[in-house]
Amino acid sequence: FLGAGGGNDIQWCFSQVKGAVDDDVAEADIISTVEFNHSGELLATGDKGGRVVIFQQEQENKTQSHSRGEYNVYSTFQSHEPEFDYLKSLEIEEKINKIRWLPQKNAAQFLLSTNDKTIKLWKISERDKRPEGYNLKEEDGRYRDPTTVTTLRVPVFRPMDLMVEASPRRIFANAHTYHINSISINSDYETYLSADDLRINLWHLEITDRSFNIVDIKPANMEELTEVITAAEFHPNSCSTFVYSSSKGTIRLCDMRASALCDRHSKLFEEPEDPSNRSFFSEIISSISDVKFSHSGRYMMTRDYLSVKIWDLNMENRPVETYQVHEYLRSKLCSLYENDCIFDKFECCWNGSDRQVEFLSLFASALSNIVMTGSYNNFFRMFDRNTKRDITLEASRENNKPRTVLKPRKVCASGKRKKDEISVDSLDFNKKILHTAWHPKENIIAVATTNNLYIFQDKMN
Amino acid sequence: MLGKGGKRKFDEHEDGLEGKVVSPTDGPSKVSYTLQRQTIFNISLMKLYNHRPLTEPSLQKTVLINNMLRRIQEELKQEGSLRPMFMAASQPADPLSDNFREAQPAFSHLASPPLLPADLVSTMPLESCLTPASLLEDDTFCTSPAVQHDGPTKPPPPALQAVKDSFSSALDEIEELCPAPTSAEAVAAESAADDSKAQPSESNIHKPEGLPESRTAEPKLMDPLPGNFEITASTGFLTDLTLDDILFADIDTSMYDFDPCTSATGAASKMAPVSADELLKTLAPYSSQPVTPNQPFKMDLTELDHIMEVLVGS
Repeated sequence: FLGAGGGNDIQWCFSQVKGAVDDDVAEADIISTVEFNHSGELLATGDKGGRVVIFQQEQENKTQSHSRGEYNVYSTFQSHEPEFDYLKSLEIEEKINKIRWLPQKNAAQFLLSTNDKTIKLWKISERDKRPEGYNLKEEDGRYRDPTTVTTLRVPVFRPMDLMVEASPRRIFANAHTYHINSISINSDYETYLSADDLRINLWHLEITDRSFNIVDIKPANMEELTEVITAAEFHPNSCSTFVYSSSKGTIRLCDMRASALCDRHSKLFEEPEDPSNRSFFSEIISSISDVKFSHSGRYMMTRDYLSVKIWDLNMENRPVETYQVHEYLRSKLCSLYENDCIFDKFECCWNGSDRQVEFLSLFASALSNIVMTGSYNNFFRMFDRNTKRDITLEASRENNKPRTVLKPRKVCASGKRKKDEISVDSLDFNKKILHTAWHPKENIIAVATTNNLYIFQDKMN
Repeated sequence: MLGKGGKRKFDEHEDGLEGKVVSPTDGPSKVSYTLQRQTIFNISLMKLYNHRPLTEPSLQKTVLINNMLRRIQEELKQEGSLRPMFMAASQPADPLSDNFREAQPAFSHLASPPLLPADLVSTMPLESCLTPASLLEDDTFCTSPAVQHDGPTKPPPPALQAVKDSFSSALDEIEELCPAPTSAEAVAAESAADDSKAQPSESNIHKPEGLPESRTAEPKLMDPLPGNFEITASTGFLTDLTLDDILFADIDTSMYDFDPCTSATGAASKMAPVSADELLKTLAPYSSQPVTPNQPFKMDLTELDHIMEVLVGS
């Protein structure tokens, strides 16, 4: 059973690492998004160079019961290219901001990928057969002289080496003046939303030449702008409900049935500021960098600079749980402001779940019970909501012996540093883990460092 | 974007200076709060106006930095209204404001990069006025009058009291030695202020805030400088603080090296600090009387002119 709490704490082991080994990171290789598909068989990454790399899990080898299938490269393609905005004399980055998978309907896989301005629907399909035996064409494609044809035959499909092709099926362009930060597919699997700093648009997957604007927070006078949209997501079950978070630490829940333009929220989630923690940087660290619904849709999780908060959708005035990711950074905020680290956008994710079991509310407490998020020094953190225990792990090539359990790490905030602890001042702020993903069904996690992708799984007995 | 932070070794006794709430009303920590606020203000300005990306800057980042600047400015305004001695800026010149209107905060996303304040007003280079944030985490920062630095950054005077003492004593010495430059600088300051007064504007002005906010407490030291400075209700971003820039624009910054020998020539020329020995050497050929080592500064205006010629010519 998935990490059911109590004595069944997950023991994470290194499984694989993908990416270049050298310390010199090529800018284009910086990973910018990581996402499992709905079955967990495919794992997609997007990078700053506009490429998408998809890994596929090998079918489980029945003889090798010690480990689950490994992930190997399945398809690589250039999703977005750099563009130039001539009006503003500025480049449009090709960096992939988000990837979202559609649920599989037929043999092909579909995903949405987006950069700052344009969303694309990609079809990834396999070809493992090809027709042979044409009458009018040679095998190499050249046309035969019809006069040389003396017999007729029916072309047949013959097996060939597997080829995975990615082709862009839809391009949703020119709908965003500002930078797209989120895309989210609706539970109807027909529409999706895209959010930029000031607006949220609703699209139909089949229609590319127009979208509906459902949220617009742009003020009439841009000089009055003090708040931007930072993330948005559809509710997993209610196809008319979505949330969006802001740079001021608020989350608004909107219902599209209420009006065409959802400028008035149905619910506003905001925690009052703790006066004892007030500083110059209070606003900046309250800015929410990610919002994710739980699998049931009853809770949502938000990530701000120092913490992860769990909100009950029925309670707007404060989160039900708060987990400190790296509270020791609170005294370093000025330096982190100076070197821009305070603007880093960490994501967060829930553990996987077995959707069938979820409907049995008896087991509700055992599901959506672990949250994971990244930190600096290639550390990432997990919080178990049931046991209230947390763990810090490191994604590093030094721990790369498969099936060896990862050693928990500890940061020494102040005072005497114990052995094996690392002091705050020794943390490497260039090594940040912003993107993590959890397999939807199993205890397999994908953790992205700057340019490497680590895959960890729980120790199987 | 990758943070530029790398591994750093801090003192074990680092002060929680930046993280904790330091109320502006606390006694000795008021200085640290003010200093902290000033530093953050400087950093924020640097971020907005020194950054010229090829791609559009992040709107979220810009908004957060702008909010920070606004908050600090609000605080300063409120403090200013409580302090009778506080002299707010006279209004900035019109051509400046037009330029700035076009180059307004990055919201407009227009391609023209905002004019660097240095382009418009000659001031100390920003870098020399910034306090690296790491210093704020250093316990010794606020208490020691002499701050050690590596790198090009020049520290602003670390503590209000220290500034007053060395500044006023430096001023006194200079007045004693060369009364002329002091009034010259006063005239310059006054005319600058008058010019700006004559051309009101309401647009935002983005000036380098190179000087610690503690200088606004120094109005008493400015008594030797005549002039009427209007207190204006500023609607813009930083108009409160442009006064400092105008006043100190032409002042030889070598004053702040706390070395009276180097400021002998005053504000009339912006040149490298000259040591007493060098002065002696240059004086020797021009002076009919031998200048004795223990009386290096007994010179009159004509000799000063000679020095000027020599130094400017070299």
